Amino acid sequence: MAVDGGELALGGGLLALVRPALDALQPGGILAVLSRSISVREDLPSWCRAGRHEYLGVEETADGLDRHLIVRGAFSVPRETSKANGSLKPRDRRLTAADLLEAAVLPPSADPVTGFAPRGARVEPGGPSYPFTLNERDHVAPPEVAMLYDQAVSGQWNASTDIPWSKVRPLPDALESALVQIMTFLAENELSALYVPSRFIARIHPAFAEVAMFLATQLADEARHIDVFLKRARLCGQGLGISSVTTSRSLLSLLQIEDFTEAAFLLSVLGEGTFLDLLSFIERHAPDEPTAELVRRARSDESRHVHFGMAHVRFGLTTDPTLYGRLEAAVRRRAAGLHGIGGVPAPLQDALTILAAGSAEPGAIARGHESFRQLLETMHLSRIRRLGHAGFTHQQAELISELHTPNFM
Amino acid sequence: MTEKKTILLGAVAYDPKVVTIWDGIREHFHEEGVPMDFALFSNYERQVEELLKGHIDVAWNTPLAHVRVRQRTRGESLSLGMRDSDRDFRAKVLVRRDSGIKSLKDLAGKTLAVGSSDSTQARILPLYFLKKEGVNLSQVNLLPFDTDLGKHGDTGTSEIDVIKALNEGRADAGTLGDLIWVNEQAAGHIDSSRIEVLWTTPGFDHCMFDAHPALSPGKIEAFRRALFAMRWENPKHRRLLELEGLREWLPPREDGYRSLEEALKEQ
Repeated sequence: MAVDGGELALGGGLLALVRPALDALQPGGILAVLSRSISVREDLPSWCRAGRHEYLGVEETADGLDRHLIVRGAFSVPRETSKANGSLKPRDRRLTAADLLEAAVLPPSADPVTGFAPRGARVEPGGPSYPFTLNERDHVAPPEVAMLYDQAVSGQWNASTDIPWSKVRPLPDALESALVQIMTFLAENELSALYVPSRFIARIHPAFAEVAMFLATQLADEARHIDVFLKRARLCGQGLGISSVTTSRSLLSLLQIEDFTEAAFLLSVLGEGTFLDLLSFIERHAPDEPTAELVRRARSDESRHVHFGMAHVRFGLTTDPTLYGRLEAAVRRRAAGLHGIGGVPAPLQDALTILAAGSAEPGAIARGHESFRQLLETMHLSRIRRLGHAGFTHQQAELISELHTPNFM
Repeated sequence: MTEKKTILLGAVAYDPKVVTIWDGIREHFHEEGVPMDFALFSNYERQVEELLKGHIDVAWNTPLAHVRVRQRTRGESLSLGMRDSDRDFRAKVLVRRDSGIKSLKDLAGKTLAVGSSDSTQARILPLYFLKKEGVNLSQVNLLPFDTDLGKHGDTGTSEIDVIKALNEGRADAGTLGDLIWVNEQAAGHIDSSRIEVLWTTPGFDHCMFDAHPALSPGKIEAFRRALFAMRWENPKHRRLLELEGLREWLPPREDGYRSLEEALKEQ
């Protein structure tokens, strides 16, 4: 390999040609530096000494140029690049994170010493070790993660303008109070869904950045949901509803989980999974178009989170035979901690009943109560179906669904 | 001699980083099972005296201090190791491009900025080699920067002063060590349209671990084993090696100090 430095002095730009050329060589590889600068004869050997490259000498070429020869030293950034560096091409004028993932595949395990170096970068040896704890692909990064990230990015919406807020009209008092209570409950639960995944992002090795990136979209989703739920509640003009101790205890037990997979399972598969049915129920009985629209949009986002949680758990179950036992134990521990706190928080149960009834008239309430009972049954059956898809047996799924928190999340 | 097992090393505190370096190396030695501690001196003259008295076991010495220890012990001191960067050190003669100096002969009648009188690379050896090349130094106006005397040029301040004098036109030419020169150039600190290198001296060697002649073979072996176990690829070691300005420790060699011995005889 050769570079032509022309008249450039060592301190006048020559190094911008020499250093990258040496970086492209293996240790022991030879670089020829052509030069018309006399000072380079004095400076290049010293620079080689400082960088532990071997300066072999200089000879004059037929056309009167100096030809310096350098052997690349051993103390440079290794040339070896990751085998995972494939080529990347737009498809149908699109370039997705999934395409990028295909071009730079996830390593089975990641080295804490590579820190924030993007996957595939040539990492200079001797750097500090980073305190990431999620360093194994099979515990962190299901293959679908980049595709889900792409979906999340294109599924973002605007909480200020995408809901027909101006169509909100005053409702009968009972219905308005019920709606305030439901929105208060949803916002409280979504706050936990904002905080719980955020605890794990900083633990994920950046070699699995797509997971952190997906979780970032999940956080943005939760932020938007909190925003719209509180806006809908406040539009009723009577402040917020009740935050129950049942809800508070249930959400604290989520926040205290230290294992990423257990958290993904309890939050996304069981909690957000159950929320899908809850949000469907609210949409079906929504008293106005803005409410129906915001829960419909929130549900669409939540189904992505459930999908990611399912992929995470399914991937884990196929690679780690001990995982089922750990997840069941986590569900049991949480259930034991919440034991005896009763069923669905009463303010929420009453609000859902009145919402489904559409009024406080006793005949309507009877129908609302029946709808609520059906909702609980639907939630249980959906959990069993979802757990089946995640890789659990029917028996395991039934057990886990029954142990799930009466707070839904 | 110092307490039974601990090797006591002397180093000169020319910069606050010296504490970081030797605390780190001390920790590394302990991890290698070699008890070591260090004492810091304000100047190399005191450090050499304390080594000769046996108050310290090993001294991390500049070439000037090393040659003095060799002479004072009639060659009986033990050389334990050196940095890779200590080998084949060179000094440079820089000139202003507008000075009209095209060869060493042209230095006559010009102003030559030189570093501290106890700096091997910025003063002692460049002047010695210039004389050997036939430059009559009595015809050259020397502009000396005698900063940090006793530190033997470790701080590099006098070399930076030389570059500054050249930049400002207070000197036509100047002498300094090759490492500071290429590092300043590589960092983009040098206006190469104004200053360039005229000449490079022959090579010479720089710092050395000097041990007291009576240091026990066990301590010598332990010191070398721990020292040479430091690795550039190891993040903890690398931080220390970077601060001390090397990539690997190398075995000692004495040939690289002949020119300095000669230069000191002539002084």
